Parts: sequence; structure tokens; C-alpha cells
Amino acid sequence: MEGPIRRILIYVDGTEEAITAAQYAVCLAKSTSAELYALYVINTRALNDLVKARIFLDSEEEEYHHDLESDAERYLKHVDKLSSRKGVSASLEKRSGTVHQEIKKYAEEVDADLLLIGELSHVRSRRDEFYHETERAMRLVHCSVLMVKDEERVWDLYDALPE
Amino acid sequence: MALVDLVKPEIIKVPLESKSKQAVIRELLQVLVDAGKLNDFDAAYDALLAREAKGSTGLEAGIAVPHAKTDTVSTLTLAIGIAPEGIDFRALDGNPSNLFFLMLAPPNQSGPHIEALSEIARITQSKTFCKMLLRAQSPEEVAELLTEEE
Repeated sequence: MEGPIRRILIYVDGTEEAITAAQYAVCLAKSTSAELYALYVINTRALNDLVKARIFLDSEEEEYHHDLESDAERYLKHVDKLSSRKGVSASLEKRSGTVHQEIKKYAEEVDADLLLIGELSHVRSRRDEFYHETERAMRLVHCSVLMVKDEERVWDLYDALPE
Repeated sequence: MALVDLVKPEIIKVPLESKSKQAVIRELLQVLVDAGKLNDFDAAYDALLAREAKGSTGLEAGIAVPHAKTDTVSTLTLAIGIAPEGIDFRALDGNPSNLFFLMLAPPNQSGPHIEALSEIARITQSKTFCKMLLRAQSPEEVAELLTEEE
């Protein structure tokens, strides 16, 4: 019988918490032989909102879009490095759009069993819960969700993993 | 990084004393220097003025969001100022600005920068909430309103 975790999706947004989650995902993929998928979403919805709110000029939107493209490459490359160092291969995907919707879509496309996300901030506003992209993705995706905590422990687990 | 993570009483000034656009930017930068969040005042000031030269970040309804990418900070940095009487920030609607959200971001943190600016755009859409911020008497009160910790 196959185990319950066959395809793990890790959402990478460039935060330290997401990197910790990626390390944990590598540990989990290695121990369960699950396939690993990493997703970065270029938040074009936020960029559009900022132009609409006139906080951004058109030229700024272009500049920041370019920055986010570079971030996507950098962070996905980092996940690739983290996984390949431990002999785990990861499928890397870059999407653009509304973050929580793209996470949901991609989780369905790859038929993920588990979505891994980084730890959320301790202090949260009630208002923020309605808007936080990762929280919304947690509620929306069809699969189970695991929030990775305890950076030091995860670091030790990752380090202890044979290469 | 969520906006609430950046909001602390030490980065908030109530009320602002400045009367002009340049002065309010300087005043908010000084808040960051005093809070130990900024070392190179002049470079940050130049980056903010360069952005303002392309178009005012004084929006409608009394909100101003001066912002810039600069390597004078190593992480996303926010200062908040409240000016109940209003300051001429050359806003798009020509009215004085009352609520100032000054944001500096290192060049490699565009993602968190965009998310934090989006949050500011969203929360300032509520006129009632903006009125509550304007009535706040202390940095602690502003921080409490913005974080609404449960």
C-alpha cells in the first residue's frame, strides 16, 4: 500500500520561514519517497492594486515585476540546491497572479497530497486574516496542509539527512 | 512579512510637528534613526525624494505613502506619522495629508515590500478606520489599532 504522502507541494515566498519549510519538505520527501514540487507566485494582483491605488507609478510596476521575476528564479534555485544536496529532485514552478488562487490551482494540477507552508507571524490582526495570502491558500487547497515550525529543529533534521 | 510585524510604538510619531513635505520626510526618518532602524539618514532621504520627484505619493483622502528601495536598510522598514491638522504633501487631490506611512525596503526584498504596501492600501480604504487613526493620542494607541491583537 502506498503511503499517504506521495506529492508534496512547498510554497516559497522568499521568507526565512518558507526556506525552513523547504528544508522540512526535503526531509519529508526523502523519508517518504514523495515527489517534491516547489511553487513561487509573482503577486501581479498586488502590483495591479498598487497601481490602482496610485501608490505605484507604471514605471514602478514594471521595475518591481522585474524584481519579483528575479526573486522567483533565486528562491526556486535555492530550493533546488537544498533538495539536490540531499538527493531529492524537485519540480520548480513559477506562476503569476493572485497568490492563494495560484497555489490552489497548482496543488490541484500536480494532485498534491500535502501543502507545506512556513510559520505564520505570531501577532496577527483580525483584519489581516482576510487578506493574508498563505492563510487563504491554507483554507482553499484541496489537500492537507502542514505548517512548519521550530527553525532550529528543522535545521538539525535537514543537516542530519544523508547526502 | 506582514505589516503588523513592522508596527511598533517606537516607529510611530503622534502628532507630527512638520509643516512641509520635505520636513515630514525628515521627521519620519529621524524616528527611524532614533529607533535604531536607520543609519544613513541622508541616503534614505535622497532615495525618498527621488521617488517623490517622479510623482507624489500623497494619495487621496489624506493618505501619503512615501516609499523607496534603498540599501540603507537591511530589512523592510516602516515609520508612521499622524498629522491631525494636515500637511501639504502635494497630494493627488490637492488636499492636506494626515496619515503617513513611510516605507524603505532593501532592493532584494521587493516581495515583502509590495505585500506591505498592499496592506496599507487596503486598510486605508476604510474611512472609519482612518478617522480612528487620526484620533489616536499616542504611538501605543496607533500600534494597537493597526495590530488588533487577539
